[in-house]
Amino acid sequence: MLNRLRIATLFVLILVISGCAGGTMVVLTPNPDGKTGSITVSNQAGGVDIKSPYNATTVKNSTESPNPPSELSRDTINTIFSEALSIEPKPPVHFILYFEKDLLLTSDSVKLLPEILIAIKERSSTDISVIGHTDTVGSREYNMALSINRANSVRDLLVTKGVNLNHIKTTSHGKENPLIKTEDNVNEPRNRRVEVVVR
Amino acid sequence: MRSCLLIIFALILVLFRNLPCMAANPDHVGVVKTMAGDVEISRKGIQLKAQANMRLLKGDQIMTGNNGKVGMIFEDDTVISIGPNSKIVIEDFMFQPNEKKLSFVARIIQGTVSYLSGQIAKLAPSLVRIETPHATIGMRGTHILVKVD
Repeated sequence: MLNRLRIATLFVLILVISGCAGGTMVVLTPNPDGKTGSITVSNQAGGVDIKSPYNATTVKNSTESPNPPSELSRDTINTIFSEALSIEPKPPVHFILYFEKDLLLTSDSVKLLPEILIAIKERSSTDISVIGHTDTVGSREYNMALSINRANSVRDLLVTKGVNLNHIKTTSHGKENPLIKTEDNVNEPRNRRVEVVVR
Repeated sequence: MRSCLLIIFALILVLFRNLPCMAANPDHVGVVKTMAGDVEISRKGIQLKAQANMRLLKGDQIMTGNNGKVGMIFEDDTVISIGPNSKIVIEDFMFQPNEKKLSFVARIIQGTVSYLSGQIAKLAPSLVRIETPHATIGMRGTHILVKVD
């Protein structure tokens, strides 16, 4: 009698465990800028769209369609994902510095420098990209050299402000990668630029 | 004759100095940015202990132990962080917008994952996919949390 009860308990336990184990939960949350995108969760049995923040779906297995989305409380989300969220790095940030001509930064771009330094400090960044570009006035070779000089001048500026030289990687695209597509030999201030990515 | 050989030697040096750069760039898809506890990377069957600033390659499997967690930043600005007892694989990653070569496929085998999409999801949302044993997640520029057991 006792044995039978044991077996029955074991059977229920196995059912419960196999019911709990296995499955995917997906929660849509807002981006750092406050906006929320949208996702589709699907498998061979069907799919659901989620468009509202903090809505979630669960999927038991690949042959059962995802459940209709429902809202989760912030507390529940934090309980489940606190560890993953606690180690989430700050997203990389991009800056664009524009040039009047040659190596002369616009005054607005000079004012951006302190923000770049703050971004580097906040992230303890050791992975900074500095990418030089030009507009399409002049030859390929001339612009390649100019974009290299622009990238190097921004790198040197950061280094004089205390950034470790070894943490900066410079690349140069000459006139090949314009922000604004133009014909050849067009003076376009928005293409005379250096992009700084702080990761 | 000797100076000629020297010049050839110098030219070869210059050529090969640039080669590793050109070869390494497409391979490196992201870096380990933040971590704590036990984190391992399985690369082509070899187990590596993860360290901050370590570079990640396509095909890497990232695993955390009981006390492990790790945050990663990818070349297109995608940010992925995973909690303890988790396992994910970077199945595919291409980020060459100029050549329109874009793709990001990650597979979550188990655990808890936070995923903030980057530029690939903006430029070509249909080419970004997260797979779990139970479903596939497609997205348009967003932040999601996924738990797989």
